[in-house]
Amino acid sequence: MMLLGRRIQVEQRMAVPKSAVVIVPVVSVIFALVVGGVFLALTGHPPIRTYLDLLNNGYTSFYGITDTLGLATPLICTGLAAAFAFRMNLYSIGQEGQMYLGMIGGTWAGIVLADSLPPLIAVPSVLVFGALAGAAWIAVPALLRARLGTSEIVSTLLLNYVALNLVNFFIFGSTGFFRDPTTSFPQGRAVAESARLSPLSLFTEKVTNTYPTLFVAVSLAVLLFWFMRVSNYGYETAVYADSPNTARYAGMNSAWLQSSVLLVSGALAGVGGAMYVVGPAGKVDPGLLQVGLGYAGIVVAALARYNFLAVVLAAVLFAGLRTGGNALQVSNDPVPIAIAVVLQGAVLLFALGGELFRRNKVTLVRVQSATT
Amino acid sequence: MNSNIWLLTFADAISIATTLILASLGAIITERSGVINLGVEGMLLMGAVTAFVVADSTGNLWFALFIAVVVGVVLSSIHAALTVGLRANQIVSGLAMVIFGTGLSQFIGKPIEGDPLPVVIRPLELGWLADLPIVGPVVFGHDVFTYLTWVAAGGASFYMHRTRPGLTLRATGDAPATVDAQGGSVARIRWAHTMVGGALMAFAGAWYMFARAAAWNQAATTNGIGWIALALVVFASWRPLRAIGGAVLFGFSLQVPFTLQALQIRILPPTIVAMFPYLITLAVLVLLSTPRARRLLGAPKMLGQPFVRDER
Repeated sequence: MMLLGRRIQVEQRMAVPKSAVVIVPVVSVIFALVVGGVFLALTGHPPIRTYLDLLNNGYTSFYGITDTLGLATPLICTGLAAAFAFRMNLYSIGQEGQMYLGMIGGTWAGIVLADSLPPLIAVPSVLVFGALAGAAWIAVPALLRARLGTSEIVSTLLLNYVALNLVNFFIFGSTGFFRDPTTSFPQGRAVAESARLSPLSLFTEKVTNTYPTLFVAVSLAVLLFWFMRVSNYGYETAVYADSPNTARYAGMNSAWLQSSVLLVSGALAGVGGAMYVVGPAGKVDPGLLQVGLGYAGIVVAALARYNFLAVVLAAVLFAGLRTGGNALQVSNDPVPIAIAVVLQGAVLLFALGGELFRRNKVTLVRVQSATT
Repeated sequence: MNSNIWLLTFADAISIATTLILASLGAIITERSGVINLGVEGMLLMGAVTAFVVADSTGNLWFALFIAVVVGVVLSSIHAALTVGLRANQIVSGLAMVIFGTGLSQFIGKPIEGDPLPVVIRPLELGWLADLPIVGPVVFGHDVFTYLTWVAAGGASFYMHRTRPGLTLRATGDAPATVDAQGGSVARIRWAHTMVGGALMAFAGAWYMFARAAAWNQAATTNGIGWIALALVVFASWRPLRAIGGAVLFGFSLQVPFTLQALQIRILPPTIVAMFPYLITLAVLVLLSTPRARRLLGAPKMLGQPFVRDER
């Protein structure tokens, strides 16, 4: 490729420099903001002011950042779920459905078990049952992948639509267990009070939307980061990710690795759904279907380059885009919330493009006329 | 009366299959070159919304369809640039296209949400053919694009299996190193077919908008058809003609819930019936991944693998 008499030279790097790890995501975000700005300007919204509003409503104001952290809590879980599977080249995109099942499983535990339990046991049991339900939802794709090699991409995705209809069935299509029996209005039956956490007060009188489950989500990220670094299991998955053949020759059980990774991924997404029960919802709430935290989790994981600690940061960034976007939608000059989704997609696309600069040294070389 | 409504269901199944055929044809052509583009849903939505907006301001159906195709080419070339040019992960890039396309289409479509269609694609008037019993309404009651889609599938099949560029295309998906050694450009072939595939996907969305949808309604406009099209690629074992049969079958399973509702047959709640297309697709996927079926399938061997000459 030629550019003003210079040639773009791409050389493969032996080691990734530390700076690229930070620069590439930052530049991706900036480029995405530029792309979003073009669309904003084209539709008659001043980009700079819109972004400043977004920044204020999503991050820098008290309610902005607390809303963002509240939204980021389940998003960290779905992000971890995607990262856990993707880093082993298992492309499960079923986090959305597994999260719904986590909500259903958690609510079941919250109604049936939690009544007679103190909060110290009731809340964890909701989370555990959410995890189990999420894992159960991915069990069939995991088994198929491990036994028959069925593409987990399509199978997990199809189950998202089944899960979506399952939630709709419980709330709108039937008057069964999960439906609130006290009203004819279609809404979920509330879990026991002992299964709910109250939002963090953060030393103020104000009521926030951040729940203590945030600490659970962050702890999960730290735990995974540490465990996958020191454990034999972490080592085996890393070997398998790099070269399935090497793993096989070394005697590792690839069916076990594949299915266990997918099951853990499903469980993580399920915990995210259960956190929704413990925190803001307290029941099976079809409102979760509108948020798309499962799909966003994949973007978060990719932006974090499947690093569990970076998932936390990426989740906060993305949640802020969403809460900021929500606020823009109801401002004097309403900007469609979809701008947040456009920015998410664009960030990911640029981050992918940025891989080139991470893996390779890209320089402009003056073309010598004698050598051409 | 009851037989009539089932005839209508079959006719609807064939009609809805048009989108599925077009989209999965796009995916087949893309995947045969070794590139997997999961962004079908995003492409469909972008095709649909741009076609609507353009038709809304110009009133010209053909221009709207043309712009939709251009949008498909532009979006899929982003995918090609990332995956072929920069060798990024094809799965993640495809998912990014879905998210980007969904967001952008909702952003663009916000002002026109719920507006009536500016233009409509109407069925052809085929005279006595349409009056034939059974066959008339089922086969001869469609618009020109439905028939052109069948022709396109036939054309794609001929191209892939009976022409030299088609042979090179299949070789690029199966053994890119061989194509490279013969002096062919793997990158150029992958770029070209990804773009053609994207054009077909966006056109599928535009057709669906004008022929099947009532109004632009965010992501619910296509409601996961793009993903079904991807499953259909496996179902059709990467062969264009088989996609027609599969698409009609899928179209039928998409339509049956409505028919049952209309007939007030309430064996199962509609939310449960709505799961069937996805469960059936999953069942088919499972059947197709048994070792016996796998041998007969013939997925492109290097699907999803970037081609790097010096790492050969």
